[in-house]
Amino acid sequence: MGFSDLVKQAQTEKRTVLTEIESKNILREVGINTTETFLALSSEEANKKASEIGYPVALKIVASGISHKSDVGGVILNLQNSEEVVHAYDSILRNIQNTHPSAKIEGVSVQKMAAAGTEVIIGMTLDQQFGPVIMFGLGGILVEILNDVSFRLAPLEEKDAIEMVDEIAARPILDGVRGQEPCNLKELYKMLLQISVFVTDHPEIKEVDLNPIIVNSKKAVAVDARIILNDDLDERQTL
Amino acid sequence: MSVPGHNLDRMFNPKTAVVIGDKGPNYMWLKNNQTFQEKGGNLYSVQIDEKEIEGIEKLGFKNYTSLTDIPEPIDYAIVAVPRQISPYVLNDLIEVNAASAAFFTSGFAETGEEIGITLQKQLTEAAQNANFNIIGPNCMGLYLPKSGIRFNPDVPAADDGEVSFLSQSGTHSIMFSLVMAAQGMHLSKCASFGNAIILDISDYLEYLTEDPDTKVIGLYVEGVKDGSRFFHALKEACRRKPVVVWKGGQTEAGALATKSHTASLASPEPVWEGIMKQCGAISTSGLDETVDVMKLLLNSKSTEGRKLGLMAMTGGQSVSITDAFCKVGFEVPSLSKQSYDELETFFNIVGGSYRNPLDMAGTIQGNTETLQRILTILDDDSEIDAIVMEQSAMFGARQWRNKPEALDAMLDVLAEHKKRSQKPFFTVMHPAHEEAFVVEVRQKFAEHQIAVFPNFERAASAAALALPYCLVK
Repeated sequence: MGFSDLVKQAQTEKRTVLTEIESKNILREVGINTTETFLALSSEEANKKASEIGYPVALKIVASGISHKSDVGGVILNLQNSEEVVHAYDSILRNIQNTHPSAKIEGVSVQKMAAAGTEVIIGMTLDQQFGPVIMFGLGGILVEILNDVSFRLAPLEEKDAIEMVDEIAARPILDGVRGQEPCNLKELYKMLLQISVFVTDHPEIKEVDLNPIIVNSKKAVAVDARIILNDDLDERQTL
Repeated sequence: MSVPGHNLDRMFNPKTAVVIGDKGPNYMWLKNNQTFQEKGGNLYSVQIDEKEIEGIEKLGFKNYTSLTDIPEPIDYAIVAVPRQISPYVLNDLIEVNAASAAFFTSGFAETGEEIGITLQKQLTEAAQNANFNIIGPNCMGLYLPKSGIRFNPDVPAADDGEVSFLSQSGTHSIMFSLVMAAQGMHLSKCASFGNAIILDISDYLEYLTEDPDTKVIGLYVEGVKDGSRFFHALKEACRRKPVVVWKGGQTEAGALATKSHTASLASPEPVWEGIMKQCGAISTSGLDETVDVMKLLLNSKSTEGRKLGLMAMTGGQSVSITDAFCKVGFEVPSLSKQSYDELETFFNIVGGSYRNPLDMAGTIQGNTETLQRILTILDDDSEIDAIVMEQSAMFGARQWRNKPEALDAMLDVLAEHKKRSQKPFFTVMHPAHEEAFVVEVRQKFAEHQIAVFPNFERAASAAALALPYCLVK
């Protein structure tokens, strides 16, 4: 399904938040690296998918109305075999039923674990004066608390992408500390520019959140993604 | 100089101006603009109140009871009538094809009252239909020193202004103009534009970008209506000349205050900062910092380099100047071997040091030749990108008061050095206990075009912001 079809479908279903799987499919269409993710409706299906794509895998809840999946036990990572996958599937469903009894659960997503690396985030929000601004920061709790993020207005030039990465206080971490290899910064610049083009081409988008993206010396891959559409699709044109 | 063919050119270079509705006993607007007349402009008054007309004519101004009677095309009108009269005045201004009008009149949408909102809408629609240039309302309008147009009786009508300033706030535009003048810097053009119902910040900014008289642009901004247009106007302006943007409402509480001041929506501070960097603007956060940056831009050469040669009078000040500059990202490296070899031949190391920072009072002892020698060594040293020198009012004021020629001799050496050297050079002089005298001394620094800052921290922060953009060639 193309992006415009997906927007139409979301509108008919009266929702603005695209699921992780929908978001990733769209992002992959515009060339952004994401982990391939499949929806499983039962533990058997999850198990089958996992053995197809190969271990280790991660399982995540797919349900509208839950934004911080890991906070409510909706994410289990690094599953090594069939037994662990089946068990994880059941625990996730149980956790969500306990914490969000009214959540509309669609199933559980199965994806291959990304290779090790540093977690970063790229996002887009609508600023009320300027329009779509792109954000970059390191992933993880510290960033949330210290607000160590940089912003630029879309569309970005390459120099903007480079400055965004250079500007954060945690920048030295990307060069590799304590024996880690340096991250592939070119992949980050590329992803920032791809997101910039994507949101500039699609004014119906209100928010994008790639969190986290795993970056290592080879590549950058978004392992979770969320796209939110405007309630009023004319909103951005009239900003 | 002007920008031929530009929509705002007559407004910014007026030959004929009119004050509409000025009132006694002060006749503030007519008196403010007496300088316009003195500088060859034609200034008229429009007032229908018999009691006021007498006072106006007594001051020597020609008064008309109708705008349409004025025999010349009007370039700039200052409107100070009660708010309910303003739509009628606007009609007349449109009829006589005036180039622009600043509405000092307030009481519009900023009050939140229905009548104010309705009147503002009326003005906006009429001006839009006629394509008429309104400044304000609820503003102080223009300050054009060269033309003699003024928004305050104390701002100078100087001819040599190089800085232009745009402000949503009337107070900030006046205070900026006054503080700049007190520091020996003059404005080319200033607009306080209040509610900005027709002309908005980007309109003025686009003119100043083209204006050959404007070498540096300053903005005081609380929020912008058309963010995308502002972004492009600012980016283009920054491509052509340094632009200093002082943002009002940087904190959450400050942003709330901007909402009630100018109904501005504020962006979160890191978003604003990111966009300023993206445009290439110098972002400041207060009056003093903005003035300091202007001072450096106008009086120093530029460098992208971060390595400083620091000259201080004493040991304690050597430490403090080093801390202040290193805290904002500068480096204070060792000098070259050649420099040390030379310094060694004459530097007094009893109670002094020449490592960098140079602790030099005991070596110089008021000898300008030695001062010049040290400056030349730092200038020739390839390890050094810029030179900062401390002057001590605490020790020097007594001597300078008794022997003014000593101060003049030192300033001549500094000015000569500045002319010769390709490296940025600026000074710091804390007024210590000599606040009043230092005002005079600072004037002399300004006359010699030597930037002087009142403390290390302010000098350092101005340098961190402005050094790459300085204008002296």
